[in-house]
Amino acid sequence: MRPFNHLNAASLEEASAALKQPGSLAMAGGGDLLGALKDDIFETYPKLVVNLKTIPGLDGVEVKDGFLCLGALCMLGDLSRNETVQSLAPAVAEAAAKCASPALRENTTLGGNLCQLPRCWYFRKLGNHFDCARKGGGKCFAFNGDNRYHSVFGPAVFNGCDGAKKACLAVNQAELAPVLLALEAQIVTTARTIPIGEFFDCGVLRSTVLEPGEIVTEVRIPLPEKGTKMTYRRFSFRKSIDFPVVNLALVQKPGGEWRIALGGVAPTPRRAEAAETLLAGKALTPELAEAAGKAAVQGAKPTEANAYKLQLVKTLVKRALLSL
Amino acid sequence: MEAKAAGISFRDACAQASARIAAMPAKQKIVTCPLCGEQFLGFGDLTAHYLAEHPDSAAPVELRMTVNGRACQLIIEPQQTLKEVLQYNLGLTGAKQMCDRGQCGSCTVILDGKPTLSCNTLAADCDGKAVETVEGIAVNPKWQPLIDAYCKWDAMQCGYCTPGFLVAAKALLDRNPTPTEADIKEALSGNICICGTYPRHSQAILEAVTYMVKGGAENA
Repeated sequence: MRPFNHLNAASLEEASAALKQPGSLAMAGGGDLLGALKDDIFETYPKLVVNLKTIPGLDGVEVKDGFLCLGALCMLGDLSRNETVQSLAPAVAEAAAKCASPALRENTTLGGNLCQLPRCWYFRKLGNHFDCARKGGGKCFAFNGDNRYHSVFGPAVFNGCDGAKKACLAVNQAELAPVLLALEAQIVTTARTIPIGEFFDCGVLRSTVLEPGEIVTEVRIPLPEKGTKMTYRRFSFRKSIDFPVVNLALVQKPGGEWRIALGGVAPTPRRAEAAETLLAGKALTPELAEAAGKAAVQGAKPTEANAYKLQLVKTLVKRALLSL
Repeated sequence: MEAKAAGISFRDACAQASARIAAMPAKQKIVTCPLCGEQFLGFGDLTAHYLAEHPDSAAPVELRMTVNGRACQLIIEPQQTLKEVLQYNLGLTGAKQMCDRGQCGSCTVILDGKPTLSCNTLAADCDGKAVETVEGIAVNPKWQPLIDAYCKWDAMQCGYCTPGFLVAAKALLDRNPTPTEADIKEALSGNICICGTYPRHSQAILEAVTYMVKGGAENA
């Protein structure tokens, strides 16, 4: 890595002020950022890296005002072992337990997992080799290149640095995003509270709607009603140290309402609303599970190399439904 | 003990580890500016010098850590990873750098009781923390049965990944002194071995557990 200044932030105010300066980047666990700096993928190298881990009081898990509140600095390993999380939102603990590898889970935060940059191989190519749309460049190389891990629901469209519309095919592979989306969590930042459905957004060098200097402080999950069933499923090519190719979370509310959220298939985590409507209020049968799997990929536009993901989604949805 | 039965001794390596820990510099007395070579008596003077003379360069960071039970006070560059500080500033070469991206587990150390990938941790983030490396495990007689079992079962070929596996195993045994084979596989699932020694690791750890928990009765 090339040199940068380092600040151990003592408070949210200090970190926020430092992050408003151009050329500064926030780091929590560093699992995402340090790799990016080592690969030197950014056009402008950061002048300052702000360590958020030294801010006190952001790593708690508590139940308050009808919400299960998870601090943004909760390590995923601690979340997966936390008894409150295991009993109230078992799918969150399950997802946290399947992320990356044991040593990485101990040092990877919930906030960092949600705010990570895309893992597209053009975006991450050593030495900023591809000046892609997501880095403020002209185009997305995945359209004509190898897009086997890219979006099956079309590209994200956003305004580039030059003001023109740009498209990007990279997917959001955050391990905990689908389960938090299915549980309709809220993201609390230093400035506002954002429903998780509006939190993810694609733009130049960002994967969330966070403004410069805005820091995620807490994730609030509305306490699931009694009798709510939930599960988490993922598919990856290796069992450990691998990002999910497809991951999904299912939540069945006691009234017969469903929430199904998919990750790894679209530029942002995505609710499978057609499947939710199909399942609503019906008794689960193997045929209905199969139909729900098909409905989950309704409207998909796979590229030439990634139609296999649709089969993965269909099968994972079916298996997850039948396991509840 | 097992190591004798296998005809292998790791005692020399353990003595080396002990010498490495003894040779760790506890505190840098004279501070040298890496850019112009000017010498200072304290870190405060160096920081002031940086602000005055090299305002565009990244300022060094003062780091206080406990490494293998010894307090260390170092002056490092902010972009140095924990792995680099252990190797270049402290001379502890046990943690190995392989992928440098947190994907292989060879650089695993124990940071405040948790297994941590030292290549993926900024040293500047570790101020005030306690680090335990494979050298610290090698010199602690409590963990001798684990090392002996690794020798006996030959749970290595080229040996480059072995320190990472050993540290991950130690971190597991700290948390769970009587793990099952499934627990071991889960705990070691972040370590990659290109030689394919995986089955030997669970064998070795299970045997070390028997020895450590039952006092070696079955292996006497």
